[in-house]
Amino acid sequence: MEQGYAIEVSHVTKSFKVYLDKGNTLKEKVLFRNRRRYEHRKVLKDISFQVKKGEAIGLIGHNGCGKSTTLKLLTKIMYPDSGTISMQGRVSSLIELGAGFHPDMSGRDNIYINASIFGLTKKEINNRLNDIIAFSELEDYIDNPVRTYSSGMYMRLAFAVAINVDADILLIDEILAVGDANFQSKCFNKLREIKRSGTTIVIVSHSLSQIEQICERSIWIHDGVIREEGLPRDVHPVYLDYMGQSRMRMIENQENREEEVVIPIQDGTGTEVWRNGEKIRWGNGQARILKATAYGEDGEEKKIFRTGEHIVMKGFYEVLEPVEDAVFGIGVYRGDGLHCYGTNTRIEQFAPFDLNRSGEFTFVIDALELLPGEYDINFTIEMGMGIPVDYYTKIMKIVVYSEWNEAGACRIKHTWAWKAEEEHDEN
Amino acid sequence: MQTIKELYAYRTMIASLVRRDLNGRYKGSILGFFWTFLNPLLQLGVYTLVFSIIMNSDIEDFYLFLFVALVPWIFFSTSVQAGAGCIRSQKDLVEKIYFPREVLPLAFVTSQFINMILSLLVVLAVLLISGKGWSLPALCCLPFIMMIEYMMALGIAMFVSAVTVYIRDLEYFLGIVMMAWQFLTPVMYSVDVVPERLIPIFMLNPMTPVIVAYRDILYYKKIPQAGTLLQAVLFGILVLMVGAFVFSKLKRHFAEEM
Repeated sequence: MEQGYAIEVSHVTKSFKVYLDKGNTLKEKVLFRNRRRYEHRKVLKDISFQVKKGEAIGLIGHNGCGKSTTLKLLTKIMYPDSGTISMQGRVSSLIELGAGFHPDMSGRDNIYINASIFGLTKKEINNRLNDIIAFSELEDYIDNPVRTYSSGMYMRLAFAVAINVDADILLIDEILAVGDANFQSKCFNKLREIKRSGTTIVIVSHSLSQIEQICERSIWIHDGVIREEGLPRDVHPVYLDYMGQSRMRMIENQENREEEVVIPIQDGTGTEVWRNGEKIRWGNGQARILKATAYGEDGEEKKIFRTGEHIVMKGFYEVLEPVEDAVFGIGVYRGDGLHCYGTNTRIEQFAPFDLNRSGEFTFVIDALELLPGEYDINFTIEMGMGIPVDYYTKIMKIVVYSEWNEAGACRIKHTWAWKAEEEHDEN
Repeated sequence: MQTIKELYAYRTMIASLVRRDLNGRYKGSILGFFWTFLNPLLQLGVYTLVFSIIMNSDIEDFYLFLFVALVPWIFFSTSVQAGAGCIRSQKDLVEKIYFPREVLPLAFVTSQFINMILSLLVVLAVLLISGKGWSLPALCCLPFIMMIEYMMALGIAMFVSAVTVYIRDLEYFLGIVMMAWQFLTPVMYSVDVVPERLIPIFMLNPMTPVIVAYRDILYYKKIPQAGTLLQAVLFGILVLMVGAFVFSKLKRHFAEEM
């Protein structure tokens, strides 16, 4: 192993037997030997990376990409089929919290059990006991049985034990979502402190912002190989872009499978369209919206946008009977049904116009200030004082992603400023 | 060697698992830890009732004859039968945390062992009260034979617990195996009643010398024969080595097979 490295993973391959028809009893093993078909699924394909002493890295990737397996190999819960892993120093993993907790025993007793499972000796636990109890904020309850704890208290105790295990290498799997916001930030500060003290850290997380806050480097594992590696702020946008696209594909596949029912309205040319028991489109049918599309800044048609990006949406319509006093409208709904924005040309006091021929309308957003999520777009054509001509909800879906982790529904334009109080001269 | 060093580093884990098992077992019951003593005492009561009053045996104080062998036998059979599931039942730990896997059978057998020691205290008390009495020189051999039995129980527990991870049936199958094994071991009878020609086969049973030695020490108040002890030691070492070897081969894939 080279000098200065804490972890060295070289050419590691790991596959699992995935049983298509798993039988675990002897009868099944013997009798149905042929039926016990399984395939070797390669989870990791020749992965190599190194981690310097004191460095913090984040492993990212979609579910099943192999990042958790990598962590399990580092923990020595599993062993690679080929390749080698060498690690220098004491390894501790925050993978399972509250391991070995006994509900009937007191918090204090459980600290001993839990910490001993991490390989601490009694003396080491005694030295840390006060820190652990203080960190968990459970001083008043520490001698009560754990079964009387709320789930939040339980996790706080478990985390307090895990994070107070001193180690040279700390492996963390998706567990920073513990307790309330206060406790989370406390955990985070503790983690930074651990890092400052020179501990090497490997984190697996879905929360890219957590990784950005702690790690110097991100490794994106995709289908068992390292797809991208580098500074989190370089790797994460590429990753997010990829994830957005694959989510879009998924949504489209799903939509293709959804069932649509078209009900003609008795009088006139109007119709109603139902999808999955929900009325998604209605109107008198004098004009019809044919399709909707969205484009990015460079004019390329796409459906995934970054928060703040320029977006152009177009609606194409055909006119069957002239529409007098026409009004174009748009609605934006978040995936969970939140109405984010809605407007139309009447609200914005455009002069009335008629539609006599087919055409297209364009809706331009200079900077799309929606926060990450899936959004449904509604396009509408009305006439007169609000008679629906074609009211087309969910005509198109767009996906928004962001490199930042702001909270809420949309970004509000803002600036920050602060200054310190001026010093007063006593004399 | 590496494993032994590592197990030493994890000694606190073994200790706390044992303590959790012993303390946790009777938690919530009114009599609590007292059950550890009450249980063997009540069993003894039942045996006395059955064998002194209902079924009269030729053997003098048959309930004691039986009891001094039954206590070590129960330790052994529980270690094997319930011990088979000791890795499976800790699925969460095994899948999520690294620790030397040997810790689990070791802790399980040790906690059973401590239970046996507590039961033996009851046995010793009863021997004294019933007027049977102790023989101090013979009692000096007791820790020795206990250690040998511990090795045997540990070796077999390691073997069956590791195999059970791969073949779950073993755990259930062991129920009948242990019953048969009990009848093939001189727990409820004396070796004297075994037909002469079957003795060589009979002596292949590693538990025979162990039970014979217990009975010699506690019931007959005499030091076991050197041959019995030697046989027990050899069996003990052999069983432990085989168990540890099989375990070390199988443990690498525990996490995947669960």
